[in-house]
Amino acid sequence: MNTANAMGLKAPPDAGAPMRTIIFMLLPVALIAILPLLPFVNNFIIAVVVRALIFITLGQAWNIVAGIGGLLSLGHGVFLGLGCYTTGILYNKYGIPPWIGVWVGCLISLMFALVMGAMTLRMRGVFFALATVAMSLAMVQLSRHFVDLTGGADGLALKFQGNSLWALQSRTPAPFLYAALVLVIIYYAITRWLLQSKFGLEMMAVRDDETAAAAAGVAVFRTKLLGFIVSAMMTSFAGGLYVQYYMAIDPEAAFGLGQAIQLQLPALMGGLGTAWGPIIGGAVMIFLSEVTNWGSSKIGVEGGDILVYGIALLVIVLRAPKGIVGLIVSRSMERKR
Amino acid sequence: MAARGGERPPGRYSKGMTEAAFYLALQAILSGILVGGVYGILSVGLSLAFGVMRIVNFAHGELVMYGMYAGVVASRNFGIDPLLILPLAFLFTALVGMVQYQIVFRHFVGHATLNQLLAAIGCALVLQMIAHLIFGADARTAVSMFTGQYTVIGPFFLSQAQIVAFIIAVLATLGVEVLLRTTTWGKAVRAVADDIEAAEIVGVNSSTINILAFALAAGLAGLAGTVLVTYFPTSPSTGFQLMPIIIIATTIGGLGSIGGTFLGGICCGIVQQLTAMMWNSALQDVPLYILLMLFIAFRPTGFFGTRAE
Repeated sequence: MNTANAMGLKAPPDAGAPMRTIIFMLLPVALIAILPLLPFVNNFIIAVVVRALIFITLGQAWNIVAGIGGLLSLGHGVFLGLGCYTTGILYNKYGIPPWIGVWVGCLISLMFALVMGAMTLRMRGVFFALATVAMSLAMVQLSRHFVDLTGGADGLALKFQGNSLWALQSRTPAPFLYAALVLVIIYYAITRWLLQSKFGLEMMAVRDDETAAAAAGVAVFRTKLLGFIVSAMMTSFAGGLYVQYYMAIDPEAAFGLGQAIQLQLPALMGGLGTAWGPIIGGAVMIFLSEVTNWGSSKIGVEGGDILVYGIALLVIVLRAPKGIVGLIVSRSMERKR
Repeated sequence: MAARGGERPPGRYSKGMTEAAFYLALQAILSGILVGGVYGILSVGLSLAFGVMRIVNFAHGELVMYGMYAGVVASRNFGIDPLLILPLAFLFTALVGMVQYQIVFRHFVGHATLNQLLAAIGCALVLQMIAHLIFGADARTAVSMFTGQYTVIGPFFLSQAQIVAFIIAVLATLGVEVLLRTTTWGKAVRAVADDIEAAEIVGVNSSTINILAFALAAGLAGLAGTVLVTYFPTSPSTGFQLMPIIIIATTIGGLGSIGGTFLGGICCGIVQQLTAMMWNSALQDVPLYILLMLFIAFRPTGFFGTRAE
């Protein structure tokens, strides 16, 4: 019961022992917050944790469209890329700081999602999935072509100014640790709120049975479109943080299918449609990716993490479609019996 | 839009230039048809797997890429013309497809769910990385007896490799249509596609039919790849690069319709070549994406698909 609550599977958080739930939630936050102060922690470890946190936010955003909404958005990299490129171009060309640029990116993603969703969401899921995949590949081509704006295939590198709060830049990864942590907490709160709110319930109703939801008075198309837009904007916002942290973006890293899979894996590994899923899944994914990259660089082959991602996808889908959270919950339910 | 301009001189065209532009357009349409026929055969397998089993195989492009590497190995390692090993390439990718079906897609017959699409992407990544480990990331080419040969017909200048590829594509598509329409096995496949339970009642073993139909779809991908590699280099990421065209051809023609998909491929080829001629060859696919969105919004069954609801 408690475990199920903490995982965000059950909507009302008040039952059981609320104190334990709060401690359970604050512990990882506190651990990450004091991470730079610990003696054995160097910049490499912090950088890995920041990477994990950023992919957790991306996973949380995708979790809303796919986990709660049940929409097959396989090309969510479109919105990541729009966020990255808008923030980066506005800063490099016009000196507009990311504090404003990221909102512009959100706005552009909103319009993109509105047009894409309006055209494809009335149809069956497959067509929506095909359209998102094709769109992300189209964006790769476009961003390669318009070299003046995007830097072409080489990508875009942010102008570095040293430590600056105005430009959200830093020589050390530690400030990004806190920025990403705050974003993870906000996205977690949004997910929790969605899981309990009327809108979230409507999304889940549409996911489980469109016809029944429509019969119960849910505006199916509008619910899908809104869910898609919310998720797109969240992805784009996280994209702003992504580009500030990495200081560079290229077409494949922004719009490519490989990146789209990386932003889906946290939610898939952790557990679709749960609030804790993307957080656990993101941590596991980055751990796996770092270990394989270390291992494959020892052997001298590249791209080992892609192979691991592919195998992970297959294993999850075939063996544990509810992810790690699903495994924990079913284990705890067995113990209760 | 930014790339427009600077390519054609402003001002009025003289009569001779109009004529030249006309021939250029005709040339683009002709080569569009040739290229498009190959897009058609690339896509037919995806359409078949969807029509029979409701499986959208995102790893279809990877199977094409395996067919291309089969051609490369034949040409570079054994000095055999890729066109002579077409049956072998067909069998090889059909086998890969059967393994794929047995491990993964067997569990998802009947509806294209999120899990099925994700599993397909997982397959695509694994297949791509296996090719990467074996052949490395560099692009490879294969040489057939027609590679680099050109034929001049009247004012038109056509690649022989593309002409041969087109002819093979037409023959293979016709072969599949005949197979599905006239043979008992083909009738059983169409029965399973129409209504799996009714087919089971009249004595069709749907699991055997499904795996063979999937093998046929995969084999067609390999065959198409071996034909394609005679004029188009391959690398491990080629599969992903081909997927948009395959998806667009299939959607325009109609998911599940073999002939429709082939015509969809030809449409893609013509639009692509005309765009490359009139606008910019680096952006030749952009109108196709717009076309895809319009089709999904207004006619998701494509030209010939009937069963997409």
